[in-house]
Amino acid sequence: MTSAEFPPTRSMTRRSALGLICMAAVGSSALLSSAGCTAAPAETSAEPVRLLVKVPRTGHDVVFDDSIDEVSQVIEAMARAFEAQSSTPVRVEVEVFEQNQYDDAIVNSFGGEHSVDLLYGDYFNMSTYIHTGHVVPLDDIISEEVRSDIPDLLWDLSTVEGKVYMMPYLARQNVLAYNKELFRQAGLDRFIREGAIQSWSVAEWEEVLDTLACELPEGTFPMMMYAASSQGDTHIMTLLRSHGSPFFDETGHFCLSQPEGVAALRQIQEGVERGWWPPHAENLEIEDCSSLFRNGQLAIYMLNNASVGRYGDSVGLVNFPGGEEDAGCSTMFVSGFEVFDGGDARKVQLGKDFIAFVYNSPDLMDYSAGTLSASRAVSQRHGNQIPYYDLFQSNRDRVVDFTGSNPDTRAVREIFHTVIRELLKGNITPEEAARQLDEQCNQAIDEGVKNSTLHA
Amino acid sequence: MNIGKNIAIFATTVVIIALAVWVYLGQLSATVADNLMTSMDEISRHDVETIEGSLSDSYARLSSVGERLHVYDVETIYEAQEQLNLEAASSALFNAIYLLSDTGDLYSSSYVRLDADQHLYDELFAEGRDQFVMLYEEENGKLETTKESLVYGIRIPEMTLDDVRFIALVGRTDLSSIRDQLLIESFGGEGVSSVVNAQGYYVVGASAATDLAGRNNFYDMLESGTIEGGVTVEDVRQNIAEGRSFVVNCTTAAGERLVLSFAPVEGTSWSFIMAVPMDVFDHRFAPFITMTAIMLVVVVVVLVGMMLVLFRFMKQSVQARAEASARTEFLSNMSHEIRTPLNGIIGLNHLMERHLDDREAMESYVHKLGRSVQYLLSLVNDILDVSKLQAGKVELMSAPFDLTAALENVCDMQRDPMEQKGINFELVEDIPQPHLIGDEVRISQVLMNILSNAVKFTPEDGTIAIEARQQFAPGQNRVLCEISIADTGCGMTPEFQKRIFETFSQERHTTSESQKGTGLGMAISHLLTEQMGGTLTVESEVGKGSCFRVAIPLPVDPKAPATAVLEAASVAGGADATLVAESKEAAACNDAPIAILVAEDNELNTEIIVSILSEEGYEVSTAENGQEAIEVFDQSPVGHFSAILMDAQMPVMDGYESARAIRKLHRSDAETVMIYACTASTFAEDRARALDAGMNDFLAKPLNVPIMLQKLESLRKGESHDQR
Repeated sequence: MTSAEFPPTRSMTRRSALGLICMAAVGSSALLSSAGCTAAPAETSAEPVRLLVKVPRTGHDVVFDDSIDEVSQVIEAMARAFEAQSSTPVRVEVEVFEQNQYDDAIVNSFGGEHSVDLLYGDYFNMSTYIHTGHVVPLDDIISEEVRSDIPDLLWDLSTVEGKVYMMPYLARQNVLAYNKELFRQAGLDRFIREGAIQSWSVAEWEEVLDTLACELPEGTFPMMMYAASSQGDTHIMTLLRSHGSPFFDETGHFCLSQPEGVAALRQIQEGVERGWWPPHAENLEIEDCSSLFRNGQLAIYMLNNASVGRYGDSVGLVNFPGGEEDAGCSTMFVSGFEVFDGGDARKVQLGKDFIAFVYNSPDLMDYSAGTLSASRAVSQRHGNQIPYYDLFQSNRDRVVDFTGSNPDTRAVREIFHTVIRELLKGNITPEEAARQLDEQCNQAIDEGVKNSTLHA
Repeated sequence: MNIGKNIAIFATTVVIIALAVWVYLGQLSATVADNLMTSMDEISRHDVETIEGSLSDSYARLSSVGERLHVYDVETIYEAQEQLNLEAASSALFNAIYLLSDTGDLYSSSYVRLDADQHLYDELFAEGRDQFVMLYEEENGKLETTKESLVYGIRIPEMTLDDVRFIALVGRTDLSSIRDQLLIESFGGEGVSSVVNAQGYYVVGASAATDLAGRNNFYDMLESGTIEGGVTVEDVRQNIAEGRSFVVNCTTAAGERLVLSFAPVEGTSWSFIMAVPMDVFDHRFAPFITMTAIMLVVVVVVLVGMMLVLFRFMKQSVQARAEASARTEFLSNMSHEIRTPLNGIIGLNHLMERHLDDREAMESYVHKLGRSVQYLLSLVNDILDVSKLQAGKVELMSAPFDLTAALENVCDMQRDPMEQKGINFELVEDIPQPHLIGDEVRISQVLMNILSNAVKFTPEDGTIAIEARQQFAPGQNRVLCEISIADTGCGMTPEFQKRIFETFSQERHTTSESQKGTGLGMAISHLLTEQMGGTLTVESEVGKGSCFRVAIPLPVDPKAPATAVLEAASVAGGADATLVAESKEAAACNDAPIAILVAEDNELNTEIIVSILSEEGYEVSTAENGQEAIEVFDQSPVGHFSAILMDAQMPVMDGYESARAIRKLHRSDAETVMIYACTASTFAEDRARALDAGMNDFLAKPLNVPIMLQKLESLRKGESHDQR
């Protein structure tokens, strides 16, 4: 029996298909063999090799399996299926960690008993580890079939100096969402459009925000803004492209001191006075803005293709301001795998085998169907069931790379939000903010480059 | 029997010690466990107080926020929220602060407004409660977080803003930000404390989960493992709900055995839990085990040492008693043996007094008296020999001698008795190397003892056969001299053969009339032979006779002339040898009187010697002590005295000192006058001491009159017996 004989269908939606995955894996092993992998019936006599897979706690939906609400469940199923078909006796352990504990789970575990062998996570966190020298290139396990199944944009985000270090599994596209009711209350009905991701010009944005600030009742605010921590500052980085700033120059460094960047910073600072943001937004977290939006006290907030479904028809979508010819911007969070070299060649090979097994197992790849799958084949099989799939697919051209492929994204973010806080508080001018961001963030980028060590 | 008894005592001792150790360790274990439980209680109490203090502080901080709202004189809800925003931003404790209205609406520091129907926090103030703290549960109202949080609430003085009456403040704190300060480790990091709420979720714990979705549940941990003592998870749940303090032992799903101590946190529905691995108890107990083991080993070693000392003491005591008993027996035997001839002497003395005029009877008595006295003398000599041998104080001579001559001397001395009894005597000698080095006197004594016994116990017409052979050890300058003396006497029973070499052993033969002896001769012979490195064995059969075999290894004298047999025997043989030699020489009489000086403090002895010598024609002078002897000699004309008989032990000056002084006198005969030591001290060292003092020869007391006269007669003939 092969995986092709029982593709997941909508009929499975009311029950878990995870139990079938292990059975499907047996069939998948035949597929792996044909793909040139070394899979064979597992030997049970030898002591199994322990493979530790780490995954941050992340919500996840699958269109055909209601039992899935966390991505770790999918990884666990992958692990069991891999164990069942591996020719090398292997015991795969899946360890879940909190989103804010990446370094504890990964960097601080190097060389220890809980040293990570395989990581599933978000690119903007994972990319840092490539430059530690512990992440191995995966080109040797990427077959032509797999390579052609995944869009070039995702391969580009996964590639450093010509080698693929991360395997994209799924992606989420972030755009802004507006509360239709509040827009109507503010008399902004003409900006409401169904079934589309709009793009407004800067002028239109100013009109919308000013109107909202003026018309919304006390305790209800026009747009999200927060800088209490580094969490969730993606949208501010994207907003800084509103006046045409490319954000990164051709060398991958911040270039906010250019007029376009300063103008965008000025607009953010002016937004405080103009009532665009909740008061003292420098003290707010993204969770605060989320609660305000959820509670109908915030008109504009950031959602992605997976989360927009929670709001149903009450919200409309709009790109971030800026982009080429004011066509708007969106951002993309990619999630996937990395294999770490902890000094045990067997584990490295098993890690690669794990990934090869997953990417050659249609059943397991199908579990990326809940958001935007990295696999074209999965998109073809389940695209019609994925909410807003066509809408966000058509918006892919507006996606900008908010990380700039810099080697230490998290170090940059730690600096970024502190400067924005000072800007929001009015302690520094837009020019000073631009200069500080360029200097400090570029220094962090240069440090990252300087300290970067790629796996041999 | 004794071995079995000892084993039983040893086994009983081991069992008692093992039992004592078992009881001791049991008590020790219980004490250590009690101490640890007490420590756990104390730590728990302290930790609970710390947590309660932390909660009180949190309430106080929240109350302060309320007070500041009054101080800042906020007038609208919006202003109040802005103020709360700033308060939360500047607070190290609260991530968000909320105002609760009397209608149940909740206004947050991040401007979120939850209507009464969106949360249940207002209900937590029901029933007049002024404050509460709880683990954040989304079921109570979704706040602006997905993280594990604590939610505090306090009533505040009512304040009205925008016509809304506010009655309470609620504060939210991310647990991750305060977990470290609440997480308390104990027992060197092995004991972990935690706090769970009534639902079993951790308020404080070692769990890494910081998100609501990742939270662990204490009851899940309990249910995945096992609880000892028949306690169920439901029991634990109920105890926590009822705010009880209790302890359970459990084993986790991973197999770790834990002691869990629970204590309620006042003012909450939480329970403080201290979890200590059983290993901690074992580790704490281990040093006591080690110390106990060491102590036991030490005690056992000391006891064994004491037992050994005691055993040695007892052994010595038994040995001493045995020796004392032997001494007593020896003395008893000796007394008996001495009293026997003494009895004869006394009896004869009595008879002589009554028959002074009967010459024939007197001759018989005198003859018998002489035999008794000789017997008594030999008995005393034997006793002294035995005593000395048993004390290991006999020093053997090591001088060249002729074994053939010595053997023949012994035989010669017994020829007369053998002839008198008509005993056939056979002597077979195969002694290729007669010139040896050894103690001729002692060897002769051994042979004499055996031969005289053989003569004594062999009946008329019996036969005594002596066979002497030598065995040469290849490559060694030694020979093993084997001499067997066989007789056709009465023989010995096997029982007596086993103790023939013991002192005072004598088999009684009703038919024998020749049992005259001390019973020490064979013991002396055996001891002497052993001391010379040889053996003395006997084979005997009652009625057929006995055969004694003497085997003594002796070094060969490489210098001794092959023809100097008689000379060597003379030199080594001392007085007895001289006596034998004398019989073979023609006497040359000299009628000139010889002057003898007798130095003797005992008046009777002096009288006897003077009488004997005077009767033999000697001119005798006397001195009562050594000093007087010097003076007498010094005052005599040069050459007057031919010999001095010097008693060794005398008052004023002993004989040794006197001899030395005489030798030092400035007169020509001071060095040449013959000085004979006359002493009852007859050991070799006494003889050596006399010679060292300058004396020429040695006469043992009681004096052997014939020998003494023989020596003096030699002087008369101009011969010298100087043995220096």
